[in-house]
This record gives sequence, structure tokens and C-alpha cells, in this order.
Amino acid sequence: MSAAALVLLFVGAGCFMYRLLRGPSLPDRVVGLDGLLSIIVIAIIVLAARLGSGSGSAIETVLVAVLVGFVGTVALARFIERRGD
Amino acid sequence: MNTLSGLFLIAGSAFAMIGGIGSVRFPDLLSRMHAAAKAPTLGLVLVAIGAAIEIGTTLAITTLILVVILQLLSSPVGAHALSRASRRQVVISLDDVDDLSRDEESD
Repeated sequence: MSAAALVLLFVGAGCFMYRLLRGPSLPDRVVGLDGLLSIIVIAIIVLAARLGSGSGSAIETVLVAVLVGFVGTVALARFIERRGD
Repeated sequence: MNTLSGLFLIAGSAFAMIGGIGSVRFPDLLSRMHAAAKAPTLGLVLVAIGAAIEIGTTLAITTLILVVILQLLSSPVGAHALSRASRRQVVISLDDVDDLSRDEESD
């Protein structure tokens, strides 16, 4: 069943990748990047559940990825605000 | 794999995929942000519940609770910062009510 979940996540990651590459504006790309990181976080949790108790420190990796994604989104938002064109 | 946790994993992944489809199909920035900020957050909560049922150790469950709390706090803050920053620079098909511009002009 986790394989079906990973297929769904693959489709979602392709959609966010389209938004990241296509634009058309810089905030749209930030939306794509943020969503892509959410998909990656969810995929790591699904893989940890697939491995069961032998998943090691995969969940801790997720904790770091969520925090880095938040800081990245807010930093890009400040950059867009200051750029002011 | 436990059937209940498998259903939670598939439901959460489906919500994340719906967020991705929404970010491709919606016409302007705020609509795309509406799809891309909320649906993957709900998906993360569901997937975390499924993984907590499946793994079952105390360390994994507490870390997953922490991940869910951090995502629920940081996702709205990030979306708000991004939408406020990009409001002047992209074409947004708003209604005729724009309270933020009105408040800034009255200062």
C-alpha cells in the first residue's frame, strides 16, 4: 500500500515541479518549491513507515527539512518584498 | 503493513497530490497558494498518523507529533508572508474589496 502512496506522491511532485520550472512569476516558483518540499517530507515519512522499526533516523531528517523549508520560504518572501520592481 | 495505517498513508498522499494538481490548474497566484499551502499540510498530518500507527516506537511518535505541530505553525506563516510580499508585483484578480491597500492609503 505504501507503493500506491508513493505513486500518488510522484504525480504531485511532477505537478509542483511544473509550477517551479514554468513560473510565470517568482512568487509562483516559490509556491512550487514550497510544495515540492512538502511532498519530499511526506515521501520520507511514507518511506520510514514502509521500513517500519528499522527506519533509523529518517523521522529526524523530516524535522530538519520542515524547519529549513519554512526559513527558506520566509527568506524568499522578504527578498521578493524588498526587490520592489 | 497494517491496513489502517496503509489507508492513512494513501489518503495523505492523495491530499498532497490534489494540492499539486491545484497548483497547476488554478489561474492566479493566490488561488495556487490556496491549493499548495493547505492540502499538503492536511496530507502531512494524515501520513504522520499512519506512520505513527505503523512504526509505534515512542521516539518516532513524539518526533512525528513535533513535525506536525511545526508544519501546522509554519505553513500559514510562510503563505501569509509570501502573499503579502508579492501582492503588488503580480496580477491578482481580486474582488473590488482590497482592505489592505485601503488601510495603507489611510495611514
